[in-house]
Amino acid sequence: MTEKAKLEQTEDNTDLARRHFLKRLGMVGATGVATATGVAKAVNQPAWGGSSMLDALGDFFQDHYVRMTDQEKQDALERIQRKAKRKFGVDITCEETKPIPGTYFGYALNISKCRGYRECVEGCIRENNQGRDSQVQYIRVLEMNDGDHNLEHSDHYYDPETVPTEGKWYLPVQCMQCDNPPCVKACPVEATWLDDDGIVVIDYNWCIGCRMCMAACPYWARHFNWTEPQIPPEALNPVTNYLGNRPRMKGVVEKCHFCTQRTRKGRQPACMEACPTGARVFGNLLDPNSEIRYILENKTVFRLKEELGTEPKFWYYTDEARARS
Amino acid sequence: MARVIGSLFVFFIPGAVLAVEEPFWLPPSEAYSVLAPQTAAKAFVEIPLGPPEEQFIQYPDRPAPHVPPRKDKLTFYPCSQCHEYWETIPEPRKLLPVHDVGLVHGQGRLWCLVCHDPDDRDHLRTVRGDKVDFNDAWRVCGQCHSNRQKDWYYGAHGKRVSTWDGEPTRYNCTHCHNPHRPPIIQRKPQPKPPVRAGLEPMQRQVRHHQTVWEQHSAKREEVRHD
Repeated sequence: MTEKAKLEQTEDNTDLARRHFLKRLGMVGATGVATATGVAKAVNQPAWGGSSMLDALGDFFQDHYVRMTDQEKQDALERIQRKAKRKFGVDITCEETKPIPGTYFGYALNISKCRGYRECVEGCIRENNQGRDSQVQYIRVLEMNDGDHNLEHSDHYYDPETVPTEGKWYLPVQCMQCDNPPCVKACPVEATWLDDDGIVVIDYNWCIGCRMCMAACPYWARHFNWTEPQIPPEALNPVTNYLGNRPRMKGVVEKCHFCTQRTRKGRQPACMEACPTGARVFGNLLDPNSEIRYILENKTVFRLKEELGTEPKFWYYTDEARARS
Repeated sequence: MARVIGSLFVFFIPGAVLAVEEPFWLPPSEAYSVLAPQTAAKAFVEIPLGPPEEQFIQYPDRPAPHVPPRKDKLTFYPCSQCHEYWETIPEPRKLLPVHDVGLVHGQGRLWCLVCHDPDDRDHLRTVRGDKVDFNDAWRVCGQCHSNRQKDWYYGAHGKRVSTWDGEPTRYNCTHCHNPHRPPIIQRKPQPKPPVRAGLEPMQRQVRHHQTVWEQHSAKREEVRHD
């Protein structure tokens, strides 16, 4: 084959490719027309990544959570429910939970009482539909050496026969719900923000997966879904909300959200409910009679990496009323 | 009159105090007082009841938390089923194996009748001799562990049930702590976090670092040798 013939062949190929592309485009257009004329059956077939075309388009054109109208939110919630039905075969309810007016949430944890049982981690995984295979766990229970509070000497892969181990203490770490959150500043698309009740929430649909927030977070609180989260259908928690524990997709960042699906309805966060020793105290910082206010006023409390100025709303305290000198 | 108001008050705080039969309750304004100091060693000796104002009922600024009942979970309750027919022997002695609760609480300083009422076996008693219902065991515990009791009362200790808001419902002391063997036993933790496919768990740097007091004592040793 001469050089010229070769060139012509290539041009033909290019032409052919373009023609195929146009043909496909036309088919997509035709499908669009079919939708318009009411043949909804074809477009509702789950072919678009396990989702119908309408749902895929709906997801694609979905606006930021804050900008969505009530109708758009309702549509988005129904899409999430349909998606979960297709993926897990489970009927879930997904709703929008709004902050309760007059609440500002804070958390306190008694490190004298934490025994390192990891019950909170387990409760959190079940409640928040975290992928069982991935590394995503909102709570890390750090095993620390006695007399040492250097986080770099800690170990969260401890697995002895029995806990607590002699000479160790345990420090559960999760999202601190900072009042000056560096993750929110780092997000280039404003997919995460500080909500009215002091919880830093994420719109998973708006997240582009750039992981800037993970780099900014000094507490290792944010987790990235490297794979599609694998959850056994029978273990899926069917009570979900939009900004909280709805099933996430691959490629988005997630983190502890103080169980917005529960706490905004008056229930305790799952970790607090699961804790067998009662080390965890959750409450409203604006209520002077709340337990957390009693702790802040009467106990010696500390926060992690306070010097960074992130103003975490997660306090640790001990049984001692005052620090021993 | 105070008694009448007191009984009304009982009806308005359900759960924790409803089951108590002795109407020694007083209105909140008069309620706060400190128990007379007693020595635990002489506790099972009958101490005459003081005026009811000395009874601890609640802290002035907050009603006592609701406590889920526990009597239905006690194996031998009601105790009077047997003890009605047995003579009460006040002297400390080794118990029969069937009823040996393995008392280690207080390291030998305590005996059954310090907390259990010798005359009414279905009740506990305070050191002073006030009857306390089994559902209100926290009132008995708080005689010695008053700091813990205060923490529990206000929410810094103990496990709250169901809600984060509103009137608290909190487990009794005896829900978590065995009153005869109080230390919480060790057990297996939940599984450790998984490591993402293709990665190895991060190797922990094993290096000895001195604690603050080790540094301090090392310095002191140096000074001493100089």
